[in-house]
Amino acid sequence: MAEETLLSDDFLRQLMGVGEVDLMVGIPTHNNAQTIGATVAVVEESFRQNFTRDRVVIVNVDGGSRDGTPDEVLKSITETHPSLRGLTSLRTIHRITTRYTGGPSPGGALRSILAAADLVRAKACAVISPQSPGLDTNVVKNLLQPAYRENFDFVAPLYSRHKFEGLLARLVLYPMTRALFGRGIRELHSTDFGFSGKLATQCLGEDVWGEDPVRKSPEIWMVISAIASGLNCGQTFLGPKVQPATTSGTDIVTAIRETVGALFWCLESHQDFWTRVANPEPVPTFGPDHELTTDTVRINRKRIYELFQKGVTDLSPILKTILTDQTRTEVERIAALDERNCRIENQLWVTVVLEFATAYHHNVMNRDHLLQSFVPLYRGRMYSFLAEHHSSTPDEIEKDTEKLCLEFERQKPYLLETWKAK
Amino acid sequence: MATGTDQALWYKDAIIYQLHVRTFYDSNNDGIGDFPGLMQKLDYLQELGINVIWLLPFFPSPLRDDGYDIANYRAIHPNYGTLEDFKAFLAAAHARGIRVIIEMVLNHTSDQHPWFQESRSTRDNPKRDWYVWSDADDRYKGVRIIFLDTELSNWAWDPVSKSYYWHRFFSHQPDLNYDNPEVFEEMWDVMKFWLEIGVDAFRLDAVPYLIERDGTNCENLPETHAVIKKLRKRLDESFPGRMLLAEANQWPADVRAYFGDGDEFHMAFHFPLMPRIFMAVQLEDRKPIIEILEQTPQIPENSQWCTFLRNHDELTLEMVTDIERDYMYDVYARDKTMRLNLGIRRRLAPMMDNDRRRIQLLNLLLMSLPGTPVLYYGDEIGMGDNVYLGDRNGVRTPMQWNGGWNGGFSGADPERLYSPLISNPVFGYQAINVEAQKRSPHSLLYWMKRLIEVRKSSRVFSRGTIEFLQPSNHRVLAYVRQFGTEKVLAVNNLSSSAQAVELDLRNYKGSIPVEMVGRNLFPRIGDLPYLLTLGPYQSFWFRLRRI
Repeated sequence: MAEETLLSDDFLRQLMGVGEVDLMVGIPTHNNAQTIGATVAVVEESFRQNFTRDRVVIVNVDGGSRDGTPDEVLKSITETHPSLRGLTSLRTIHRITTRYTGGPSPGGALRSILAAADLVRAKACAVISPQSPGLDTNVVKNLLQPAYRENFDFVAPLYSRHKFEGLLARLVLYPMTRALFGRGIRELHSTDFGFSGKLATQCLGEDVWGEDPVRKSPEIWMVISAIASGLNCGQTFLGPKVQPATTSGTDIVTAIRETVGALFWCLESHQDFWTRVANPEPVPTFGPDHELTTDTVRINRKRIYELFQKGVTDLSPILKTILTDQTRTEVERIAALDERNCRIENQLWVTVVLEFATAYHHNVMNRDHLLQSFVPLYRGRMYSFLAEHHSSTPDEIEKDTEKLCLEFERQKPYLLETWKAK
Repeated sequence: MATGTDQALWYKDAIIYQLHVRTFYDSNNDGIGDFPGLMQKLDYLQELGINVIWLLPFFPSPLRDDGYDIANYRAIHPNYGTLEDFKAFLAAAHARGIRVIIEMVLNHTSDQHPWFQESRSTRDNPKRDWYVWSDADDRYKGVRIIFLDTELSNWAWDPVSKSYYWHRFFSHQPDLNYDNPEVFEEMWDVMKFWLEIGVDAFRLDAVPYLIERDGTNCENLPETHAVIKKLRKRLDESFPGRMLLAEANQWPADVRAYFGDGDEFHMAFHFPLMPRIFMAVQLEDRKPIIEILEQTPQIPENSQWCTFLRNHDELTLEMVTDIERDYMYDVYARDKTMRLNLGIRRRLAPMMDNDRRRIQLLNLLLMSLPGTPVLYYGDEIGMGDNVYLGDRNGVRTPMQWNGGWNGGFSGADPERLYSPLISNPVFGYQAINVEAQKRSPHSLLYWMKRLIEVRKSSRVFSRGTIEFLQPSNHRVLAYVRQFGTEKVLAVNNLSSSAQAVELDLRNYKGSIPVEMVGRNLFPRIGDLPYLLTLGPYQSFWFRLRRI
């Protein structure tokens, strides 16, 4: 029986028409008819301004939109013909679209994008979300140039954020990746990132696409794979992180499942690598480093505190199977404190995270349930952070984050010991 | 030459061969080509298949701009022969069915022309107002300088008449003043002189610049068009069937005006198309060609674009964007010696790195895109250039007839030649010459002859419409030319690698493509996309037959 193929005949035909390219931008969509036109327009304009002589293609991979998104991709005529004099761009800017199989998922979309990148031999690629309100031509340029001109293989974004945004990254993903994998990637989980054709081909060949963490957060797996393969990873500043107006935000349970879960899974799949990493190395950054803003925002800290308390109480039997007695006892003690005194400090927090990672590795329980039970503890840490830093400056927050990173590094031997224990 | 409705449009079916008499063949061994020599080579041109010769200026001139600085409009420069020699050549050309276009530089003369000598002599000379004089050099502010490499201003100080005169080109080429009716009448009289001798057409040099007005860019002014209309009217009344060809290096929309309502020029060069053909092949992308042709306006039924790859001037990059110009410099003129006046002073073959396939592809495009094609002398054998000869002289070297003495161009001492021959091992006359190529049926010369033959076999190319196909493979430029019921499909691979292309030919369903060179049948067109595979730089011309 013929093997099922990732690429439809129509997609293959379109790729044949495109031929070899220097640069590719992949845009995964699912019911984004409202915004995709503007996204494509910005990408095209960036090609015209910044990559005038290069062979380029925009590849839309669609998860089965019912609102006509693919038609909008092909329909958007972005060349304004300001006058009848001369060309608007030297080369044809291709736009192609395909529907990927398996239902909408970031992993399915990325896999199709990687396949396209491989077949058109793109030297550098970027994935752009069709819902990035802050997207401008510089974003596209900044994601492509490091891979295209500076030989980087993965390019993560850096943003200017409010000091209380992106806490999952600040409190778990960034310090853990830095300590364990030796590279401090600030935005491990992002809808906009860049990569080299070499990395695309490598990742495409991996037999991981059926795994849930890769389906949900493929870019986390991708950057960890790049790090573990010794490829060049960098970060590039994209400006303010603007949240789409229409989304209500991913709920915290889903966020933790998809990000922390993916990172834990990567610990498993790349244990040969991180168990040997000694000291972290700095990650080259293009443009300004990330920035923190300190505008006043209203956050219901009390609610977070209450959810932490309730979660610890309700999940006590489950936490017994995940955490050591000492760690669990300490967590429960802190959860019983009043709001003013309830603080999960760095040392305890890192221990909690690493014990969860170990429990994940040892399959002490259903992994999805394990990740869900991490949520209240994360809320506790989040509450502590918000309380401690409600009037902190960006510098103070960065200093605290650095301490957290160092704590992860300090406890890495503990993780190694428990990881290998039977 | 016979006239009549169809013959009146002879220029549409023309294959024009451009040459300077000085470069072609020297009959009296003084090192300079001449009209008797050119006449001796008419058989070669007839055999090549061209049917019009366009001669670069041959008038008496101090030759500071290769003859475009005319000192006498009604004579032949003694270097090239006599007026009788010219008449003999003309008759011989006509006898072979070859028409002749000559240059007519309307815009300016040499400063050695008696008219200018008179004009400058005193302020009340009758010919004073034949040129554009001014006491100050501040009129017509902001008007661009065309010869940027040599001129700092469009005004030059004349120490004789102690005033400034206007010149859009070299300072030794003062502009004539067409606001003076006497100038127009005199130039018409000059043209009549040559028309009565029998020349078939004029290429009017530098026409956009005839008239100046303050507050304008002094180009393409309505008054200029009025002058042209008047000329055309006189031509049609007194010499029907003769032709005016405009040299107007402008965007297509601006050149359009020079056709008028069919009452100005018969033909005009499509300058913006030419660099884009070169760009498309280097980019391996059809976009530059399609875009410029889609921006090209419709012209009157009795008008025609004139297309070319290279000519006696630098490959002009005036009508391209800065991005395009930078690209062209980078890929075709990396050595700055190759650049002149916002252009590239190289020949076709060296620009194509002597890649026979690319040379052929460009000629195929020239012959199949809309317009009357012009071949520059020597390009049919792939002549090279010498960028170190100064100005544009590197593309005006002697024609290479054989591998012997002076490349067969002249019996003079080599040191006496008007220009050194190209002599390097790749493009030199020993390697590239007519005699050698006549001996091989696989030479570029033979191929060009065959190409011209195929082109002339159908009026689809000279008079037909064009419909671009837009296959997803942008490296393939495909279009259908149609004239009446006749249709030709041209498919060109612009890239250096083999390509597959699927063409949507449903509109031609049922037609049988017949390849026009080998006349072999290809599968009938059906409902499905028509798949073709092409080798690097390969082209197909298919006649679409319905039987």
